[in-house]
Amino acid sequence: MSAGGAFGGNRGARPVPPEKGVFPLDHLHLCDLEKKDYIDCLKSTGHKSEKCRQFSKKYLECRMQKNLMAKQDMSELGFGKEGELQTSTDE
Amino acid sequence: MSFSRLSRGTHFFSCIRTHLHRPPSLSRCLIDGVGSRYNFIGANGKNIYAQTNHGCKLKNYNVEKSCSISFGRQYATNAATTATEKKSKKMLLYLTGLVFAMVGCSYAAVPLYRRFCQATGYGGTVQRRESVEEKIARHATDGTVTSREIVVQFNADVADGMQWKFVPTQREVRVKPGESALAFYTAENKSSAPITGVSTYNVTPMKAAVYFNKIQCFCFEEQRLLPGEQIDMPVFFYIDPEFETDPRMDGINNLILSYTFFKVSDDK
Repeated sequence: MSAGGAFGGNRGARPVPPEKGVFPLDHLHLCDLEKKDYIDCLKSTGHKSEKCRQFSKKYLECRMQKNLMAKQDMSELGFGKEGELQTSTDE
Repeated sequence: MSFSRLSRGTHFFSCIRTHLHRPPSLSRCLIDGVGSRYNFIGANGKNIYAQTNHGCKLKNYNVEKSCSISFGRQYATNAATTATEKKSKKMLLYLTGLVFAMVGCSYAAVPLYRRFCQATGYGGTVQRRESVEEKIARHATDGTVTSREIVVQFNADVADGMQWKFVPTQREVRVKPGESALAFYTAENKSSAPITGVSTYNVTPMKAAVYFNKIQCFCFEEQRLLPGEQIDMPVFFYIDPEFETDPRMDGINNLILSYTFFKVSDDK
């Protein structure tokens, strides 16, 4: 059935839910602009995630503002220091 | 040991067999005397029962005789019979217990296997030992620098008969381990009724799933779309920097994250 594993494969294990749970859906399209910025950035940079980190950060911040995500410090999600590292290596 | 004694003579064994299955008939045989011989044979085989009704046939006579011989033997070894009977009863109980133990083991195997998979990450189980935030904090303080770029491709599937258009918004994302990344999926309800769906995901190749941590996504919870509604579903994930140091991951530069949406009954 599945390629991995001699027996059972994925059968025995249940998929693990995400760490912070489920993103509430953005039914009202409140953060659409930020998302669009991010997607456009990805397309222009050849889908390199590191170049578009500021946009993804903006998107998550937007979500937090509109109560679509639990508020949390950005560095905890890997944004703070990484961003600084990014700018130093870019130069 | 008792079994070897039982199987010493086939006639003896066949006579004993009825003792195991119908102990009351045996007691009846012992009490009745000569007439009991017919009862005894009747218990042995269903067709013979019919024949005893018609009287003593020649065919059967040999059976009767051999059984009666062994029967006579049994009169003499009554004490031994009950001893073997006890032993065979014990054997029966032991075997029944063994059967139940086997069935119990097969039921216990499910959670045990699951625990084994969680511990070893066998077959693509996404492991959970420390939370992603702790991992990020740890690697940030360590200052781990990763250099290998991994291409994460996205795949989206919808269950049969579900009128959703579900596609990834971007085909791929190039990310380095240790960097949290954001990705989007777009879903559109193309029907004229609200549909509720639930999704599940999978990461291939299987052995890399251990290092793939999802911080937040839209799976495992029912998502309801109104007719004609289009929505963006984000996935926020993180690839463990330990991916780079693992020798098993040497040839792996491509990960595929696959989501499948299933329909939940939409009579809500």
